[in-house]
Amino acid sequence: MRAVLRNRVALAFGALFVAIVFACLLAPVYAKEVAHTGPDQNHITETVTVGGKQVDVVSPSGVPIGPTWKGRFLLGADSNGRDVAVRLLYGGRNSLEIAAIATAITLVLAIALGVLAGYMRGLTDGVLSRLFDLVWAYPAVLLGVALGVALAVGGINLGLFTLHSGSLLLPAFVIGVVVFPYVAKPLRAQALSLREREFVDAARIMGYPPPFAQLRIMVGEILPNLASTILVFAPLIVANAILLEAALSYLGAGVQAPSPSWGTMIADGTRLMPGAIHLVLVPGIMLVVTVLSVNVFADAVRDALDPKASLRGRL
Amino acid sequence: MHRGHLNRDGQDPASRIGAGAPRVSTGARRRPSRSRAVASIALAACLAVVVSACGSSSTTSAGSGGGTGPVTVLMGTAPDSLDPGLGFTTQSYEATWLTYTGLVTYARASGEAGTKLIAGLAEALPRVSSDGKTYTFVLRRGLLYSNGTPVKASDFTHTIERAIKLGWGEKELLTENIVGAEEFDQGKVSTISGIQTNDATGAITIKLLGPYGPFLNVLAFPAAGLVPSSTPMKSLPNNPPPGVGPYEIASVVSNKSFALDLNPHFSSSTIPGVPAAHVNVNVRIVSNNQSETEQVLENSADVFDYNDTIPPTLLSKVESQASDRYAKESTVSGEYFFLNVKAKPFSSQLVREAVNYAIDRRALQRLDSGMLEPACFFLPTGMPGHPSGPCPYGEPSAGPNLAKAKELVQKSGMAGTPVTVWGGSRAPHKEFVDYYAGVLNEIGLKATEKIVADAQYYSTVGNLANKAQTGWMSFSQDFPNPIDFYQLLDAKSILPTENHNLSQVDDPHIQSELASLGPVPSSQLSSVVGRWQALDEYTAKKAYMAPFGYEEVPKFTSNRIDFGTLIFHPVYGTDWSSLQLK
Repeated sequence: MRAVLRNRVALAFGALFVAIVFACLLAPVYAKEVAHTGPDQNHITETVTVGGKQVDVVSPSGVPIGPTWKGRFLLGADSNGRDVAVRLLYGGRNSLEIAAIATAITLVLAIALGVLAGYMRGLTDGVLSRLFDLVWAYPAVLLGVALGVALAVGGINLGLFTLHSGSLLLPAFVIGVVVFPYVAKPLRAQALSLREREFVDAARIMGYPPPFAQLRIMVGEILPNLASTILVFAPLIVANAILLEAALSYLGAGVQAPSPSWGTMIADGTRLMPGAIHLVLVPGIMLVVTVLSVNVFADAVRDALDPKASLRGRL
Repeated sequence: MHRGHLNRDGQDPASRIGAGAPRVSTGARRRPSRSRAVASIALAACLAVVVSACGSSSTTSAGSGGGTGPVTVLMGTAPDSLDPGLGFTTQSYEATWLTYTGLVTYARASGEAGTKLIAGLAEALPRVSSDGKTYTFVLRRGLLYSNGTPVKASDFTHTIERAIKLGWGEKELLTENIVGAEEFDQGKVSTISGIQTNDATGAITIKLLGPYGPFLNVLAFPAAGLVPSSTPMKSLPNNPPPGVGPYEIASVVSNKSFALDLNPHFSSSTIPGVPAAHVNVNVRIVSNNQSETEQVLENSADVFDYNDTIPPTLLSKVESQASDRYAKESTVSGEYFFLNVKAKPFSSQLVREAVNYAIDRRALQRLDSGMLEPACFFLPTGMPGHPSGPCPYGEPSAGPNLAKAKELVQKSGMAGTPVTVWGGSRAPHKEFVDYYAGVLNEIGLKATEKIVADAQYYSTVGNLANKAQTGWMSFSQDFPNPIDFYQLLDAKSILPTENHNLSQVDDPHIQSELASLGPVPSSQLSSVVGRWQALDEYTAKKAYMAPFGYEEVPKFTSNRIDFGTLIFHPVYGTDWSSLQLK
């Protein structure tokens, strides 16, 4: 921890990320108190005062207004006359929410299956490792797009619960499923090594009562020794989940309209390039800054927890 | 049952797929330097921005000018096929209606005059029996195909059979009307019994199962344009068969380019009313609208395809810099939101009326870059039967009446009902739906969206299992007869899959009027225009849908082209045979 605190650049980027998260969480306040509009509210035929003149929010030929640098349409409007700043913050909420849930899904799947495969070895390892290979064999974005598009119309019924097509959980689920093998494989390798260590032998000899003996060794002995690796991976997964969500949404397989996300905002803005370049630049810059801040901070965490660089996780 | 064309199916969103989406690296051992990591992330995130900004920069100089050209036409989407027996997209028809003339064809003129049917390869318009079921033509003498082969009456039978066998997209117009055509399609018989020809006299007799008003319009499709009997019963997209018309198709490079060369065996006297073409045409497929616009604006290409969209950010530049060679042309097409009357909340007429009150058609016009004529009636301007009376739920040029709409929704008891709004992914279809969902939420419903790739859109919403409540729909005419539009409200069009009647309207009054008006020949439409107008006003009053506009398209050329003489045909768009160099 001290090592992280000594790294001022990392701290600055960490603070930047926290600031972005807070700004996004305050989206409803900004929308209500400053912009006086919601993220999905159209203002196509309205006008706004800029420099003492009344200007169309969307021109008769369909070109939206650029940044006004005022409360209303601070960063301009999109083709539907929606406030870009409001959508940016709401889009950030969606992107971050999806990234957080996807990271949780990834970690749960990766830890459970990776440790199980590494500790159990034999047939269990064989089956699970082939499953990892199967998912890994597909390019992540293509697999994500395929799953996202397939589920976009009808959603998915998993028996215990149903994910509707418009739900933010759907892209989170897709990202979690697509990414987990990238984490599960290194965890499996570590578990494979840890199970041969003396403290695990000692735990076995001490004899946990069946039928949960092996489970208790995995949870009580192996898992705590994977904590630093998991901590190294977690922010990297967050950063990649944000990027993957943006990519899926850009391609129409992530967040579904009218909900904003940075990816969908970039996709919507491309039609109006280069005349309304703010539509692409604003969410693009936000995406870069967010991912950059997470990654720089993650680098510092990794350096602090793994100074010998025996395991360099990179997604 | 057949479907008209998706409007302006120019731009494929495939270009988006190529944008640099972030990739997940699988390398677990090597650690890239921080600067490399940062650079790669920044690159990944920015790639979408950069790639999307990059249009095709390739430009090709237009023809050298003078005499017979050639002129360069740019097309955003390649024709589905240049074989007349198969092609049925607007891009295909643009080329094939000038190369494959049928027994009848359309007058070469802009506006309403272009909807008039004239004799094509037949000497005159047919003799029609009193029961409207038998059409008798006589072929003109001395006609030659573009390869010099003489035209025979029996070629007509082969042409129709070939279109059916190849699976022309609108072959139902033939199989549902001509005696024996359905059996031929099913392979039960070797030839269509309802078509009889005599090569010696040039006589062609067609027997129909029942009177069908627009049958002559069907015969004016390029698919019914004669090809030699020796043409193989297989698709020939890269080497289309010879035909009779101002042009012949040549030099086809699939999905890239093709040429329309002057037909050496065709002159202005071959078919009175069908003039010979003036210049050779080279067609190039340019999938980037921005590049397409810039090339025509800079005169490095000559014609912007009317099916494509001038990007909104370039529109004002085009209007100011090329005002003498740019114009908006009205098309006979409609854009509307369907309202499924068999599903809540649109089973309530009050809610349907509320939607019609609430939509701001001026806003939708802006979403379509101003290329939309705001409207409230189903039958568009230029289609016989388009009503002249006032709109029942507010004039389209005025703002919406949201207060009234909210009141109606409350009165209906449907407030808060969940609604899924369906839409296509391509601009401005998605923007239409974004707007529409916002309006539904504003008037008290609970709307969410389902956006489907345009290529799968109609099959998805047309599948009754998906229970589409409401969504965007666009339709353009196959032929200038209102029955073409009204198939979309015909109860017989409600099908489990490929359903065309998305509002699922089954109205006895509409059914009875369609049964009565359907058999009226297109040439006699003027006698029933009043009834069509009354029917369309009835439809508007019942609010079975929320029409919001009729599409306008760009007529845009380089400064080499004589813009004044260029014909914009109401059925087939830019008439390339009227292209002339200044």
